[in-house]
Amino acid sequence: MNIIEFSNISKKFGNLKANDNISFAVRKNSVHCIVGENGAGKSTLMKILFGSYRQDSGIMKVNGSDVSFNSPLDAIANGIGMLHQHFMLIEDFTVMENVILGSEKTLNIKIDFEESERVLKEYIKKYNLDLNLNKKISELSISEQQKVEILKLLYRNSEIIIFDEPTAVLSPIEVLEFFKIIFQFKVEGKTIILITHKLNEVREISDYVSVLRRGKLVYETEKDILDLKVLSREIVGNVEIQDENTGFDYEGEPEVIAGLNNINLSVNKISVLNNLDLKLKKGEVYGICGVEGNGQNEVINILFGLEKNFTGKLNIFTDKISLVPDDRLKKGMIKEFSVGENLIIKKKECHYISNKCLKKTAEETISKYDVRMPDINAPMESLSGGNQQKVIIAREIELGNDLLIFSHPTRGVDIAASAFIHSTILQQKKKGKSILLVSSDLDEILKLSDRLGVISKGRIVAEFDRNQYNLQNEVEKTILLESIGKLMIGITGEQKN
Amino acid sequence: MRLFTPYYLGANAANFSERSGVINIAIEGFIIISALGYALFTIFSGSAIVGLVMAVLISVSFSLLFSLFVIKLKINQIVAGVGFNLLMAGLAKFLIVFLFQSSSNTPRFNSLPNIFFLESIPYLGKVLSDYIILFSFALVFISNFVLFKTKFGLRLRSVGENPEAGESLGIKVRLYKLYGVIICGFLASLGGIWLASNQNSFSDGMIAGRGYIAIAAMIIGKWKPVNIFIACMMFAFFEALEISLQISGTFIPSQIVQMLPYMITLLVLIGFIGKTKPPAADGIPY
Ligand SMILES: Nc1ncnc2c1ncn2[C@@H]1O[C@H](COP(=O)(O)OP(=O)(O)O)[C@@H](O)[C@H]1O
Ligand SMILES: [Mg+2]
Repeated sequence: MNIIEFSNISKKFGNLKANDNISFAVRKNSVHCIVGENGAGKSTLMKILFGSYRQDSGIMKVNGSDVSFNSPLDAIANGIGMLHQHFMLIEDFTVMENVILGSEKTLNIKIDFEESERVLKEYIKKYNLDLNLNKKISELSISEQQKVEILKLLYRNSEIIIFDEPTAVLSPIEVLEFFKIIFQFKVEGKTIILITHKLNEVREISDYVSVLRRGKLVYETEKDILDLKVLSREIVGNVEIQDENTGFDYEGEPEVIAGLNNINLSVNKISVLNNLDLKLKKGEVYGICGVEGNGQNEVINILFGLEKNFTGKLNIFTDKISLVPDDRLKKGMIKEFSVGENLIIKKKECHYISNKCLKKTAEETISKYDVRMPDINAPMESLSGGNQQKVIIAREIELGNDLLIFSHPTRGVDIAASAFIHSTILQQKKKGKSILLVSSDLDEILKLSDRLGVISKGRIVAEFDRNQYNLQNEVEKTILLESIGKLMIGITGEQKN
Repeated sequence: MRLFTPYYLGANAANFSERSGVINIAIEGFIIISALGYALFTIFSGSAIVGLVMAVLISVSFSLLFSLFVIKLKINQIVAGVGFNLLMAGLAKFLIVFLFQSSSNTPRFNSLPNIFFLESIPYLGKVLSDYIILFSFALVFISNFVLFKTKFGLRLRSVGENPEAGESLGIKVRLYKLYGVIICGFLASLGGIWLASNQNSFSDGMIAGRGYIAIAAMIIGKWKPVNIFIACMMFAFFEALEISLQISGTFIPSQIVQMLPYMITLLVLIGFIGKTKPPAADGIPY
């Protein structure tokens, strides 16, 4: 049975057709994946379904009858819940306050906190969410925040749940936990719509798949006949994906460019780095993988000179270091400034901002890094995630520094842009740069690094060499992945607390 | 202790507005206009009750007008606030000159009625018999309850912290901002009325920046009714000290004595309070 039917849905923003005559159906009690590049119109379509936007034309049916939602309240009343791509949480509120907001249970004029707590604790137990209701959101990790969003959906008894790129911010282990929750939802008869960029996730979890490209529905498939090659081709259209990773080897001497020796660091009396050793060499990509918050950021901050209160030995044989930070909206750029301004902000040649200098830099970058944007005076925040990231990477690389640090370089970036970023990183390696890659995407680390270190509790607990993991044999590969996974959560070697 | 009243009313007024995400420095203007409104309507009708009701209505109407500017038309809140304050101060002066041919103050008028049988209590009589003072004390509990224990308060605060999140849960963001500003207008008017009623006359400049001090008290009190209470008590204490020092006459020059409350504020801000954090979406139009 179809629980949702879209017929001929269109939505324009100005002249841009974000959704162009989209028709498809979602079956009850299925996991339906919607995939497509950044800007394909996925979020827009889901926001229409959730009542945040109104379609310009077209009809939507929920449970067989026409619906027209004026606000999310109407959608919520129809059993639809949505987990937004950008969390809709209030940092300064507690978990409890965030969850009940808008659907408060009251006792006379007071909010009935006791009853709410009872109900929420049941959900927490049932779905294994492991949340403290009285903590503020600002004290929670990203994955915990996501659990709060899930709790919000449960509290509102949503039967149809929309997840907009829920896994983009999760580490592999957290993704598995998240999938468990999805399976539980399915067992209970709920319907799930899931937006993602990651095709292996589509393979793992979806029953049906719809592909959007430039606002149009271009392809549909289902579990039994799913072919990831076809799928990825449909996603990008006829764009060539650069995906050749060989032939980038550096031929010079692999001198050590930075060394961390026996580093210890405590923040607020909690030890975050614990006898950490690390060597970075010229012409080599060193990948650090691990569950987020195990010291990755602190390593970056020490190398980049932002963190000084550590003990141990730090040798850096260059002062030319570039950083592409993890949270591009907050750290890598000034989002209100134009693309051009963001590009020259670190440049020494432009003493004062002349149009000539701006234009020259911007034009070089656009062509070299294939950045797509309306013009160089557009504010940075108007670009899609992938293009923002390319601008930041372009700026950092063009500085010509010796040590390049990339933190989650392709987080939330679509397939074509990711492939471009990957080949850019490899080209830099060939030129003899030393590259530190931090990522929670294990595939990315395995693909790019020459050596990889697994970080757990502030320490590199194991190192692997490219020869050890460049395996052709699927079985060996699975075993390796499993053992890396275990190392990441600290099962082998150290005791789990 | 009585001096505490206008500060606390003003600071709570500002707090309800800021909790909904609207920076409202126009409370200075609201206090001026309601003090004047109370003065005029009490003089012309002869009844302090009429004066009270009209002053509240005037202030609330102006807060509606202010909402129109900053919520609907999204004019910069600071600019609108400063504009309002200048307008109100000018209007007050103009009306005094125009109606009473006096350059600075109105004729004398009646105070609000008191709870007369409490008046004879020694020392505390003046405080206990004044409805507005009593209300301002009760406001510690009322504000705290409304903001933190009710559905209304939760939603009001959500709108000041993250309006998109509120909206995604079906909360009418602008409506709650409007509520915040109206409550602000109402509480500020009580402050103005009390000041006028206590002096039995309205004079140009009599509000003397109390609205701004109230805002400072709100910030020092970190947007929390109980802390704001302490901050206002402190201001009132130093103001009383200043007055008594001035009356008794000391060797300290009076200018320095007058600076006292403000200097102490600065010192407290620097020394004890540390970082304060306003509502996350304070001042951002939606
Ligand atoms: N509120 C908006 N105003 C203007 N343009 C928008 C708005 N929301 C989305 N768009 C544009 O519509 C297109 C589709 O966006 P979106 O649905 O967010 O894509 P996706 O979620 O697939 O990455 C993009 O080009 C985006 O820039
Ligand atoms: Mg999206």
